[in-house]
Amino acid sequence: MNYLELWNSAWPAGLTMLGLGSGFAVVLLIASVKLKVEVDPKIEQIQQALPNLNCGACGFAGCAQYAKGVSENPELLGRCAPGGPETTAKIAGILNLQISDSGPAERPIVYCRARTSDKNVYGQYHGIPTCTAANALANVQACKFGCLGFGDCISACKFDALHMVDGLATVDYEKCTGCGACSRTCPRNLIEMVPFSQENMMTVSCSSKEAGKSTRGMCKVGCIGCGICAKKSDMFTVEENLARLDYKKYERTEETEAAFNKCPTGVIIYVGKTAPKPRVPAKKAASVQTSE
Amino acid sequence: MSTLNTLLLGFISIVLINNLVFTKFLGICPYLGVSGRIDMAFGMGMAVTFVVTLSGTLTWLIDHLILMPTGLEVTRYVCFILVIAGAVQLVEMYVRKFFPSLYESFGIFLPLITTNCAILGLCLFINLWGIDKLLEAVVLSFGAGIGFTMAICIMAGIRENLNMADVPECLKGAPITLITAGLLTLAFMGFAGMIR
Repeated sequence: MNYLELWNSAWPAGLTMLGLGSGFAVVLLIASVKLKVEVDPKIEQIQQALPNLNCGACGFAGCAQYAKGVSENPELLGRCAPGGPETTAKIAGILNLQISDSGPAERPIVYCRARTSDKNVYGQYHGIPTCTAANALANVQACKFGCLGFGDCISACKFDALHMVDGLATVDYEKCTGCGACSRTCPRNLIEMVPFSQENMMTVSCSSKEAGKSTRGMCKVGCIGCGICAKKSDMFTVEENLARLDYKKYERTEETEAAFNKCPTGVIIYVGKTAPKPRVPAKKAASVQTSE
Repeated sequence: MSTLNTLLLGFISIVLINNLVFTKFLGICPYLGVSGRIDMAFGMGMAVTFVVTLSGTLTWLIDHLILMPTGLEVTRYVCFILVIAGAVQLVEMYVRKFFPSLYESFGIFLPLITTNCAILGLCLFINLWGIDKLLEAVVLSFGAGIGFTMAICIMAGIRENLNMADVPECLKGAPITLITAGLLTLAFMGFAGMIR
């Protein structure tokens, strides 16, 4: 190996590149001074106040676009979910705006709690491993409403706040920023953004609109639409064989605790940062029937 | 007279017969990405024309004045990319200053001209075809830009009409665009063989 020879053939190339590069650098420098565009300093300030995560929760492509949008149209204030109220306050300060309290921050709730062992399936799915693809197939699993477990929401989450636990998408509320990407991605619309007025929220963790008997045949932990919770508390309503919780009326009282305790399938659970474990129903749900 | 003839033939050839988009399949990304509306397509075509003319000329000069005499042809790709990137930066600043609305509508596609293969492709083709006169290189580069503008404007015109057309559900969006692009290419293939 003759390093001297190698060096002798290499240095002209390096020098040429260096020369060309500096030449263009000078031209661009002159151009950047001559063609400078004055940007509103407020837009830059807003952009610095934003988290710069480019999550898209605000409806804009990224934080830079949102900064520009909010500076032109103050109605867009408060769209930044990851930044939360602090960022909104900062932006309002920059733009000299008054903010009204917009209520508690929204967090996603997954309306399904069926793990792999709870679900009944007719066969093995070997197709494209995404929920969107699997959802196009009618019989991918018995329940036509529940979580498919391929994790489209997990790939949509930029904050590592969703994980697949035993075939069920599970939100990590410590990491969640409430950007809503998961809610927009889920092909079965299982994930809803709910205002978390308390650290732990009560929810009906099922989406099955099948009649009670067929729900039981498909899933060990589904809502059978018996309506006991609706009798105990006004907060619950039962429509199309499915109990729903009205978060506008959300308040934790003895009545809701009674509904929580009386639910025969244990489908009413708490979710949130320090949520207690789901209650095991007193009378065990009928075992899942095997496929017909 | 013969010089003028060569230049004219070269220009027609690069616009119609050896059109970079239709026969070399270069620069498909902006061709499909920015051809939604005809005014945007025209703006994109103009930006590409400017960049390709500038970089085609500059790369010919660099190739013939610096790289070939010093035997540094190996660095051709790197040098060409450097020239193109510089030219794109220049265009970006210019467009941002004087056509802010156009700048908004281009979005990511303006910086992406840097990696537009039509431009690097042309710079390398000029070398491959053995063009040894500066004027020819300039005319070819300009013609390539005009050819690209023509292609993207035809495509945008068709796509504007397609928006009104009753396209079958399964072909809406990308599929019909790709089919249109294929048919257009077939039509332009017909020019091959007119001039040798």
